[in-house]
Amino acid sequence: MENTTVIETNGLTKRYGNGVLAVDSVEMSVRRGEVYGFLGPNGAGKTTTLRMLVGLIRPTSGMATVAGHAPGDPAGLAKIGSLVEAPGFYPYLSGRENLKVVADFAGIGHKRVPEVLDIVELTSRAGRKFGTYSTGMKQRLGVAAALLKDPELLILDEPTNGLDPQGMAEMRKLIKDIGQGNRTVLLSSHLLAEVEQICDRVGVISGGKLVTQSTVQELLGEEGVLVRAQPADRAYELLTGMFGPAAVSRQDGSIRLKTDPAGSVEINSRLVAAGIGVSELRPIERSLEEAFFQLTGEKQGS
Amino acid sequence: MIASIKAEWRKNRFRPAFLVSTGLIAGIVVLFYSAEWYQAAHPGGPREAVSILTLFPDQFVNNVMGAGFPLGAAMALVLGALIAGSEYSWGTLKTVFTQRPGRLSTLFGRVVVFQAWMGIMTLIIFAVGAGYSVVIASVQGHSISWPAAVDVAKGMGAIWLILAVNGSLGIALGALFRQSAAALGVGLIYVTVLQIIVVRFITSFNGGTYKWIADWFDGQNASALLQSFTSPAFGRSTPPAIGAEQAVLVLVAYLAFFLIASAALLRQRDVT
Ligand SMILES: Nc1ncnc2c1ncn2[C@@H]1O[C@H](COP(=O)(O)OP(=O)(O)OP(=O)(O)O)[C@@H](O)[C@H]1O
Ligand SMILES: [Mg+2]
Repeated sequence: MENTTVIETNGLTKRYGNGVLAVDSVEMSVRRGEVYGFLGPNGAGKTTTLRMLVGLIRPTSGMATVAGHAPGDPAGLAKIGSLVEAPGFYPYLSGRENLKVVADFAGIGHKRVPEVLDIVELTSRAGRKFGTYSTGMKQRLGVAAALLKDPELLILDEPTNGLDPQGMAEMRKLIKDIGQGNRTVLLSSHLLAEVEQICDRVGVISGGKLVTQSTVQELLGEEGVLVRAQPADRAYELLTGMFGPAAVSRQDGSIRLKTDPAGSVEINSRLVAAGIGVSELRPIERSLEEAFFQLTGEKQGS
Repeated sequence: MIASIKAEWRKNRFRPAFLVSTGLIAGIVVLFYSAEWYQAAHPGGPREAVSILTLFPDQFVNNVMGAGFPLGAAMALVLGALIAGSEYSWGTLKTVFTQRPGRLSTLFGRVVVFQAWMGIMTLIIFAVGAGYSVVIASVQGHSISWPAAVDVAKGMGAIWLILAVNGSLGIALGALFRQSAAALGVGLIYVTVLQIIVVRFITSFNGGTYKWIADWFDGQNASALLQSFTSPAFGRSTPPAIGAEQAVLVLVAYLAFFLIASAALLRQRDVT
């Protein structure tokens, strides 16, 4: 267990001083080596959960184990790199000097400073004062600071916030690269495409409750194939013969098959050989967006 | 702990607020000496004449004491409120707390570096005072002799203690309000106005029956400690109401209290 689970929470709950129940009995587990996406709409409790995991705030009840230690334990913090909400640095110091300060606090040398600046492509602006940075540059410096410890566990709260499209693409690639091997990444986001592209597993939080936790594949639902053919009855008969009645259903003029879309060519040639005209044949995909709206009860486009 | 001290020093060594304050306090010592020198050279003004003898190097420790309270104290308070309060508004407390050291060793590093800065300011006050008194002595053709080393050390200790106490009050208020503006406002009002009015009221109330309460205020003790350095050369000798040893003890108690309060606040509270 210890070796496979990096983050484990048990009934983790936070009620802020103003009475807001921000996180409600969250049971979350993040496994070693995976890139875990923490999804949820604004105000769902993502940041609050991450704050508890790094020991910035105390849970009202419940507990968590992070990198083998209680949150906030120096021994655990030594293995965790994090960026929770907006990056916080000293405005009167340069980006490079800020990283040196952080490295000093982390008790590591300054050797990593130029390396991480290079990784986030900030080397050319590293000499400028943090106070003069643009939002995207601040964000990059935040990620650079999170990478300083070469951490076993990287916790990033909406890391692509404020980045331009190219910066976003680079950041995603970076996170994917970092997530290779034994390193674990916990990434919060409300950008579904982002999560779909880089995460192995996801947890969806809504109204403070973790509504689901699964692989991206599971969340997207089973694969299938949609067929529209004439005459429809004969097509239905033939397909039922091929896949069995349980895998075939009819829905407003089309036929849905629970099968691997890779078999589409085969399906098409069988139908055509039987003299059935095929007007449409395509894989059915539930987008992550659909799944997300269904789970969080939010209306699409509102 | 060493890591925190190193990090705090790196982040505060070129901090504009500290550099400006140090320059300011040096400027004020210069201004004070210049005004006194002018008065000594031009007697007959509205104020009682200043004896030129008090401006020579052998008396410089007594002269720079005036920089301690309330001016130096107010500056130290502002710096303390800034060093603690701005960590919240910049979000840097979060960055620091998620690195390796625990919260208390982070505070320890901050306090050590802050008090080192107060030491630097004390040194500057003394160096500028000593330098200017040498200039006056040279211009006036007076021979240069210095106070006993032990008196210089005592004087520096007194100023440093007063800066340290008021700076720690600023640090505690910064942690209490989680921002520098409120901490700075409340602290300055307390040090420069409120405390003085309250003390005056208590001292005069019911013919001074409760004066012993006033003697427990930090400002009273700071003033008494500074006054204890007045030498007969200055002509005016009001014996301080509180003995120097007692004043030092009371101030040390305040220092400890403010630091413990900061530690409790920082350890317990959420950082959002
Ligand atoms: N410091 C705080 N004090 C009181 N309530 C807070 C505080 N921070 C957050 N909240 C409340 O807790 C709830 C969860 O907020 P949280 O910041 O965790 O959401 P989030 O999922 O990170 O949202 P976003 O996507 O907008 O960043 C919200 O209702 C918010 O108003
Ligand atoms: Mg958030």
